[in-house]
This record gives sequence, C-alpha cells and structure tokens, in this order.
Amino acid sequence: MRNETREYKFDWMLWNTFAAAARLKSGTENEYRAMLKYIPYFNRVVDTLLGTGEPGQKFIEICSKYMENLTFAKEKGKKTAITTFCFSPAIFYAMDIVPICLEVLSVMMTFVYKRGTAEFLDYCNEVGFTETSCSSQRGTVGAYLAGIGTDVDMFVTDTPGVCDTNANAFAFASAYLDKPFFQLDMPPDLTGSRSNEYHREDFKALIRFLEAQTGKKLDPERLKENLRELARQDEIIAELEDLARLVPNPLPVSYNLMVYASRFLFAGMPECTGVLESMLKIARENAAKKISGLSGGVEKLRAFFCYIDHYAQNMQLWQMLDGNGICYQGNILSHFWSHNAPHVSEYHKEEAAYKIDTTNIDSLIDSVGMINSRMPMIKSIRGPYDAPNMWLEDTLGLAKLYGADLIVYNGTPGCRNTWGMVKLLARDTEKAGYPTYIMYADAFDARVQSWEATEERFMEFLKVRRLV
Amino acid sequence: MKEFFEASTALNNKHVTEWKKNGKKVVGYTCSYVPDEIFHAAGILPFRIRGFGATDTTIGDTYFGPFICSLPKCMLQLAGEGKFNFLDGAIITPGCDSMRRLDECWRKAGSDVEGVIPPFFFHFGVPHKYSDYTIKWFTEETRRLIAAVEEHFKVKITGADLKKAIKLYNYSRKLLDRFEELRTLDAPPFSGEEALAVILAGTTMPREEYNALLEQFIAKAEKSPGIKNRVRLMLVGSANDDVGLVRVMEGEKAIVVADNLCFGSRFYSDRVEEEGDPVFELSRRYLGHNDCPRMYGDYRRRLSILEKKVEKSKIDGVILQNIRFCDLHGSENGLFERDLEAKGIPCMRLEREYGPLVETGRMKMRVDAFIERIQQRRAIA
Repeated sequence: MRNETREYKFDWMLWNTFAAAARLKSGTENEYRAMLKYIPYFNRVVDTLLGTGEPGQKFIEICSKYMENLTFAKEKGKKTAITTFCFSPAIFYAMDIVPICLEVLSVMMTFVYKRGTAEFLDYCNEVGFTETSCSSQRGTVGAYLAGIGTDVDMFVTDTPGVCDTNANAFAFASAYLDKPFFQLDMPPDLTGSRSNEYHREDFKALIRFLEAQTGKKLDPERLKENLRELARQDEIIAELEDLARLVPNPLPVSYNLMVYASRFLFAGMPECTGVLESMLKIARENAAKKISGLSGGVEKLRAFFCYIDHYAQNMQLWQMLDGNGICYQGNILSHFWSHNAPHVSEYHKEEAAYKIDTTNIDSLIDSVGMINSRMPMIKSIRGPYDAPNMWLEDTLGLAKLYGADLIVYNGTPGCRNTWGMVKLLARDTEKAGYPTYIMYADAFDARVQSWEATEERFMEFLKVRRLV
Repeated sequence: MKEFFEASTALNNKHVTEWKKNGKKVVGYTCSYVPDEIFHAAGILPFRIRGFGATDTTIGDTYFGPFICSLPKCMLQLAGEGKFNFLDGAIITPGCDSMRRLDECWRKAGSDVEGVIPPFFFHFGVPHKYSDYTIKWFTEETRRLIAAVEEHFKVKITGADLKKAIKLYNYSRKLLDRFEELRTLDAPPFSGEEALAVILAGTTMPREEYNALLEQFIAKAEKSPGIKNRVRLMLVGSANDDVGLVRVMEGEKAIVVADNLCFGSRFYSDRVEEEGDPVFELSRRYLGHNDCPRMYGDYRRRLSILEKKVEKSKIDGVILQNIRFCDLHGSENGLFERDLEAKGIPCMRLEREYGPLVETGRMKMRVDAFIERIQQRRAIA
C-alpha cells in the first residue's frame, strides 16, 4: 500500500468526496459544469446521478450522510458494526449502532477512485487473506485491516449457509483485529416451521449479542418505528416495481442501484424513504406521460441481471445500458421480498415473503428475523439453485414478470456460491427461452477484466444472439 | 500395512467389493459431519466420497464454474466416469460453498447421463455454529436423514442399533487415540504417509474389520523401534486424502507426526456419549467436535488446539496447505501463520490443487526449503 494512501482515514476521504458531490448543484449550472473538470475520475458518476434530478441529489446526500455517520460514530459515543449488504441494518439503527456495510463502501470506492479498491484488495492478501476471496468485502476490509478506517467494535454477518467467502471475510477480519463476531446462520430451506424457528432463535441470539456489546437493551418502540418506516419503503418499492412492468419502463436505469443502495444504507430510516419517494414521483410522472426512463427515450431491449451489477468506475454499466436503449429490469439485489411486492403476489408463495407485524415484541423480532432471512441473496441463493423459492425460480419469475428479453449473470471470481452452479442455471434459463449471458468480469476489480473488454464482450453477445 | 494402503488408495477396494457381493448397500458422504453410526445401524457401509484417482476434470468443469475447488470437481469427475457406481446412495453436506454445489452439479450430471447419480441422494444440512438451538436443528436434521434412509432402503434403525454402533465407533476412536499417542512419540513407529493410510482406510471399510486391523497394527507398532532423527512436521488445512502428498512432503528428512485434517485426526477426535438419546448424542458430537473453519467465529479455539498439538507432538514446523479456491482454510492458514510464527513455531503456507500430484516438483522444493530453514534454526540454537 502506498504511503499516501495511509495518510488519511479512507472513510473520512470517502465522506469528503460525497459531501463535496452533494454540494455541487448548489451553484449555477455553469459553475457545476466548470466544477466537473476538476473531478475527472468522479464526474461521470456525479453527472449520471445528478442527471436524474432530485432522486440523484438525495441519493448522493444519503451516501454522504452514511459516511459522515460512520466517520464520526466514535465522537458521538456510538458503537460501530461492520456488516454486509444482505443484512438489513434496521436492527442496528433500532439499537443505535452505526452499521458499516463493506460492499457498499467497496462500490463507492470503485465508482469514484481511479484505482478503485485495488490497494485494499491487495493489502488483504499481504496479511494472509486469500486472493481468491470475494473482492466485494476485500475491497473495504483491507482498509480496516490496515487500520486506516474508523474504529470497529464488532463484526456481524448473516451469510453462513449462503456465501462462505462473505462469512469468511468477517470471520477472518474479526480474528485478525480481535473483535467480537456474530453470525446469523441460514439453514438450506427458506420456508417451513424448522427454518422459521431457527431464524427466530438465531435472531434472538443476535439481539442478546448486540445488547452485550452496547450495554443497552433493545427498545421495542424504536424497533417498531423503524419497521413501520421499512413497511412504508416496501410500499414505495412495490409501486416502483409495478411501474417497471410498463412498456416503456418509466424508470431511469440508475433507479435500481438507488433502490437497493438506499435500502442497504438506511433501511427503516427516513433518509431511504426520501430517496424512494422522489424516485416514485418522477416515475409516476413518466408513466403518466408514457415516456421511457431511458435518456434516449426509446426502449430497445429489457435486461434482467440475475445476480449483481458491474461497479466499474464512473457507473459505466449503467451508461452502457442507457446508451444502447437497454432497459434495466433489476437484479437480484433490487428486488425485495415483502408480501406486497408484485413478484410475490404474482408468482410466488406468500410464505416465501416477509410481512411486518408490529403488534408486540415477539412479532417485531419475528418480522425483523424474517426480513433478514429474505434479504437479496440470502433468500434466493442459499439452498439448491433449483429448489422452490431459490435462484432458478426467482430468476425466471422476475425475468418473466418484468418482461426481460435476456438474463445476465455478473459476479466476482470470489463467488464460490454462484460460480458453483451458474452454468446449470444458465442452461435452465436458456431452455426457458431467455438468452443468458455469463460475464467473466469482477464487479469490483477492473484489473481482472477491463471495463472496455467487458463491454465489448457484452455487446458481442447481443449481436451474436441477434438481440440488437 | 498393505491392507490399509490398499483400502486408502483404491476407491472400490476389496472390502467394498466383498460387501457388495453379499448384497449389502454402500452409502457415500462428502464430509466428516455425517454420522457413520447411522449407516452401520442400518446394515449399510458408510463410505467417505473422495476425488482420489481422477486424472482430469473435464466432467467436473462441464458443470462447475472455473473458480471452484478441485476436490468436488474431482468427485464429480469420478462419478461421471462411473467410478462411484458401487454407491447405493450419496449424501452431500454444505461443508463449504463448492462442496454444497456438488449437490446440484451431480444431480444435473445425473439427469444428463443415466446411472451417474446413486438412487438415494440426500442433502444433509449442517449449521455453522454450536449452540442449543443449532444442536436442536441438527438433531432434527439427523432424524430426517434416518427417516429417509429407513424409507429408501426399507430398514429400521432402532435406538438399540444406534447405541451398538456408537459403542463400536467409540472403540475405534479409543484405538485411534492410542494410535495418535504412538504417532507423537519421540521415535514414532510409523510415518505420516502410513498414518494417513491407516486413518483413510477407516472411511472405506466395515468398522469391525477396521477395528481388528487397527488392533493388530497398534500391537505391532508398540514393538517398533521407531523412526528417529527426522524433522517433525504437522500438516494443517484443506482436505487431503492423498498419501502420496504426505510422502512427497516427508521425503528422507521429515516425518508428519500430527495433523488437523478432516481426513486425519479431526475424523476421530472425541467420543459420542453412550447414554441418553443416541440421535441427540450423535448430533452433539458431530456438530461439536469438528474443528473446521466452516464453523465461523471459532478461530481462537482452533488455534489453541493447534498450539496444544505442537507442544504435545514436539512439532518443528507446521505446513499450512490449502487447495486453490479453498478460502476458508487458506485464510485461516494466514491467521495461523501470523500467530504461530509469533510464538516461534516455523510455518509454511502452501497452495495446491487437489488431485494428481502434478505439482510434485514445486511442492518438494518448497517443503525441502522449509525443512532446511528448520534445520538451520536448530543449528543456530
């Protein structure tokens, strides 16, 4: 790692970057355009997001707020927990713990820095963590292992039984830094009384762990308030998803990213609701005018990503889709499994979804346990890919409901879980009539395959399959 | 010793052939979290599935993606080649992501080619932590497995049968404890290669025969003058069922006197309580005993186990090996290296592929260099 990288806390730097970005539009348009020249590695992210109007502005503001919260957590006397994208942070907010989501921070750095997270990725290897592990955690955890992030109090993950390489990153870092560790474990089955009881007991154990770490009891009123806000967010997301079914889709391509990132950052908090509400407002307006959310206005194709996005610098994936008239119909991260989501009511069993019940403390714990066990990836990619409620069924269901013309897989070479069966999945989705493209890139590390090569191969696939 | 080597280096060995000739069933499993006693109680031979003997992974690569451990790929390769046709059943456990996905890949191969998949195929869930509710869940899972075996094979597994099997396997563990004591002597009566063959044989032959052979082996070993003046190594990390790998490491200068491999000492450590509900006791032992990094958040305990072994076996150096893409062992090896080296215990990390010893030269060179380092250290001391 370069000496200059060690000069400042990385999270403080990231906070400053987003805080500055959030202020860019406060001047005139000319001033804004002039400023973009001075942030050559970041200007396209800013322009893409701010180009969406109020939602993009609010989204950058909550990214800044999130970074500010974790940067100054210790000064405010709060505990910090390193956690993962597929762990709903609602429980942390209810217990006044500041969550630090590794993957979201990795995405932020990959978007805005020329070198992405490369130095932190490599630092992990220097201290003994395997180079074959997933880059989504490695990209940020390396900074904490190097001691250039805010002080961490605990590690909490919910991926054992879902993603080893994720769970292992948390286990490794907690052992390396000698910090407390908690895992929510996931049995192979999503539904049924055994799994439900297991989730409940496991979540109760998590609450005991968090209470022990913070020295505070869980405040049911606060959790209730948080879950009510979450239910409101679910309603908005459900409407956005419903609108995405229209032809043309009135949602701009970057909305998917903003939906899931907002939820990963501020589930159950007004910050997330604010972004979602402003997206809904524009989506409704577009829908009323029957116009596409694509900047070119013409929808040529609809793509469903069955796993994650490619977070190449400057949001180039979104720009590529938008520039080619490809409507982005979501990925496995952007579809939540609330009982009122269109994909739940239309093709799924209600049992596979969660419902928020704020009646009493038991129902609150059950609700938050169910939410966690049905988070993106946790729900779909735990048991066998072709089991009920799992990856194949979810992928085909979502692709059909949102009218996808093709399915795209993108992940990281560290994803043992999906690479272990993606060939099988692709065979089945092709049989079901969906041209399926497996990207061999690394979503978080352009050194594995440059974005230019990734884009070229993607476009080649579209040509070969005569989709364009 | 010949019997052990034969049983540990041939998949369909003479014990399995003999067993099948008598019309009895064989069920394979992929991970040491599956209680053998259940199958013994059902009159079925439990057989640890391995990838040993695969010469390529063309079939494995057809189903698995490229970034996957070569162990399950080799297992699938052998299944695809019909080498596991003697199995009447197979049990897949979520030992790790790669191994978990063997379930789907094997099933898919079975739907592509007739006869590739055994008639009984079962996914056996194993929690990733040890607590009251995880044992409860695992006990129910074990009961689910028992019910499935009973239904498929038309057998009845009674509590009395299970208790009998538990006693038999506990006796085996007692013998293996004695075997381990001999292994840690200043002049061990057998090499690490032989030790691995003895342990592996236990995963592929009827337990009664194994115990009898083990008794004879121990009796003979107790009279042996032992192997002296070798650098004493401990082998740690990913699954290794290849006696040839240990032979390469030992060469003429070293001897592997301890391990913490799932095909090694982790396989027989601890007993099952013989009183009480046998299913619960089996579940408690099998979930609790196993010191695999898949049990997240338990690093300190595993480090402590290694430290005790280092002391007890007078280890000169620790080889921390992992199969490529085995992030669990690979990363934990990084922690072990940091913490053991800090205590003055020389360590060497070694990444390798599972399967044919294509890397013999590289590994031999690295291990020899490590041994030299230890010898120089000794000389200075």
